[in-house]
Amino acid sequence: MTTRATFSAMLAAMLIAAIMLTGCSPQAAAEKKTTLTIWYWNRGLDDKLIEAARTRFPNVRIVAQKVGGDFKSKLKTTLAAGSGGPDIVAFNDWVTEMFPNADRFYDLYKLGAHDIEKDYLPWKWQLGVTPQGRMVALPIDTGPTALFYRADLFEQAGLPSDPEEVHKLMGTWDAYLAAGKKLQDALGDGVKLTDNIGTIYTQVNAQSENIYFDKADAFIGKDPSSSMKRAWDLAVKASGMGLLANANGGTPEWSAAMNTGKIASFVGAVWNKEILRQAAPDTAGKWRVARAPGGDGNNGGSFLAIMGTSKHPNEAFRLIEWLQNPENQVKSFADVNLFPSAKTALDAPALRKKEDFFGGQATGEIFTASALHVKPSYFGPRYVNVNGIANRQLQSVSTQGKDPDQAWRDTLARIDKELLR
Amino acid sequence: MNRRLTAEIWKHRKAYAAISPFFIVFAIFGLFPIAFSMYLSFQKWDGIGDMTFNGLNNYRFMLGDPEFWHAVTNTLLIWVYSTIPMLFLALVLAFLLNASFVKCRTFFRIGYFLPNVTSLVAVAIVFSTLFSSNYGLLNYALNLFGLQSVEFLQRTWGIQFAISLMIVWRWVGYNAIIYLAGLQSIPAVLYEAARMDGATGAQAFFRITVPILRPIILFTVITSTIGGMQIFTEPQVLVGNDGGPGGGGLTIVLYLYREAFINNYFGYGAAVGWGMFVLIALFSLVNWRLVKGSSN
Repeated sequence: MTTRATFSAMLAAMLIAAIMLTGCSPQAAAEKKTTLTIWYWNRGLDDKLIEAARTRFPNVRIVAQKVGGDFKSKLKTTLAAGSGGPDIVAFNDWVTEMFPNADRFYDLYKLGAHDIEKDYLPWKWQLGVTPQGRMVALPIDTGPTALFYRADLFEQAGLPSDPEEVHKLMGTWDAYLAAGKKLQDALGDGVKLTDNIGTIYTQVNAQSENIYFDKADAFIGKDPSSSMKRAWDLAVKASGMGLLANANGGTPEWSAAMNTGKIASFVGAVWNKEILRQAAPDTAGKWRVARAPGGDGNNGGSFLAIMGTSKHPNEAFRLIEWLQNPENQVKSFADVNLFPSAKTALDAPALRKKEDFFGGQATGEIFTASALHVKPSYFGPRYVNVNGIANRQLQSVSTQGKDPDQAWRDTLARIDKELLR
Repeated sequence: MNRRLTAEIWKHRKAYAAISPFFIVFAIFGLFPIAFSMYLSFQKWDGIGDMTFNGLNNYRFMLGDPEFWHAVTNTLLIWVYSTIPMLFLALVLAFLLNASFVKCRTFFRIGYFLPNVTSLVAVAIVFSTLFSSNYGLLNYALNLFGLQSVEFLQRTWGIQFAISLMIVWRWVGYNAIIYLAGLQSIPAVLYEAARMDGATGAQAFFRITVPILRPIILFTVITSTIGGMQIFTEPQVLVGNDGGPGGGGLTIVLYLYREAFINNYFGYGAAVGWGMFVLIALFSLVNWRLVKGSSN
């Protein structure tokens, strides 16, 4: 064969392949079966449940894709491309960042979500609905918060160690900080009340109805109804009292501090149980969980949405509705610790299991009570920007010795500038 | 006029077809993103919705943003802290690796190059435990000598020191190998003649080795500049997206990443990329002048 003939043959082969690929669109191969692609991250959904969904929906071919790495960026790239994405996609608590582009997703209210709304925790449900009333995403799990504390250290310091008594004594943040002072006075400098300044700031805000924005996306941080200044002042106060170990979450420093007993307590969401268990194996049995000082709150929690490019929104909705029905949320909790967002799921015995790591306490009781009392809140698409600014300044206060008043002024000035961009 | 040119191209069409894959791939993955980022830098875009024309606002915000200049200063400081000791150390290492009295030279050559092929994220995690305030190896050693612990990763200088050390550790072997190749091209007679004239080892190093290696040194300085201006993974893994307490590890690329991918200002991120381009070009020019000029 001459080179030219080879070349033409190759070209012809490529052309044929191209025609075949485009010709074989879904209709031909799966006339009866609808294909639904789901994007989620590892442990974002219960894999066993997805397997069960395949038998429950025999006419749907479910393509479950675990997207690793920077999930949000990959989703954004797909949205920017405008085609070729999945039918169903998982969101984390950054659901609020998607609100300006809510029209890129199906309004779940129009697909029948009204009928199941009563089954879910109202505050969680509302987090997936835009202020204009468009429902972008259906709840998966929640992250109710509570106080994690070392019962043995509290006892040594002469503080109560029983969850109910702990909450009675430390019902407010000020009382909690005062107890921290007592704890550190009794145990010496080797133990700190809590991990870092950001934890206090974040958790005070997590208990609030009004944080940075009202529903018209106007900044309300300077308004007395906002929790921002209160959270700021409490965080600064804790830093000034020397109650912080300055160990940031997710670092080896944090794990080591937890494992060696340098940190006596922290307010955190239910998913911290697993993190703590892995970070601090040597402290097994010594931790307890009590209702948080200052009230109940929520941190994180995920959602499912249907992409506007999906050709099968009704089938997709039926699938996610089933995946997140109360009964299946209990299964997801048992399999991968996704804390339910459906009200009746919270009553399941699976949530009341005693845990050895927490000295035989059934911490689910605390978190369930917390989940039922979270206040509805609105975060706004620019929550992450503003929150980042405040946290950076607080870090400077706690670790660089920056003057808190100056830091507060710098924070507000920076936010003003940020919101004009 | 183009008739002949077209005919000429047609005549060599097979050669052009043969070299075309590179250019096609480059156009898609190299040229297009560059051109697009230029276009993007004049837009306001959250990464999903519609772009709106933003004029020079992105550039104006960048030049007026103290955090951008903070990032530029951090990057330059880290570049100075890392590049100068690194290249000097690499030169000395190369000289030693080339010396006849060293045994097992291949072993050492591989040994010094090995850090370069280690996973960057793993390295950053190891360094973060080395420098950790309460449980770090470094503070353990300090305590052994009766010294006070230092909160390295909570101080601006400490963060920059840790990042620089990571860069030095990772790249010193790479540069040493490049220098070694240069050293081996220097004829031995020059050293012999110098020794006969009574020159010491140090004199031979500074009077013969360094001048002959100048073009190679220029090469390593420029590649280190380009690499140093783009430091990202080290600070991100070591101290997080904000560059740690006080922002000592906030480099330009980390700032770009934060503004684009965390704060959703993709147009602005593109503008920062072009700002960085100008900075690298300027620096390479200055380097070139410095290293080239002093040889005359």
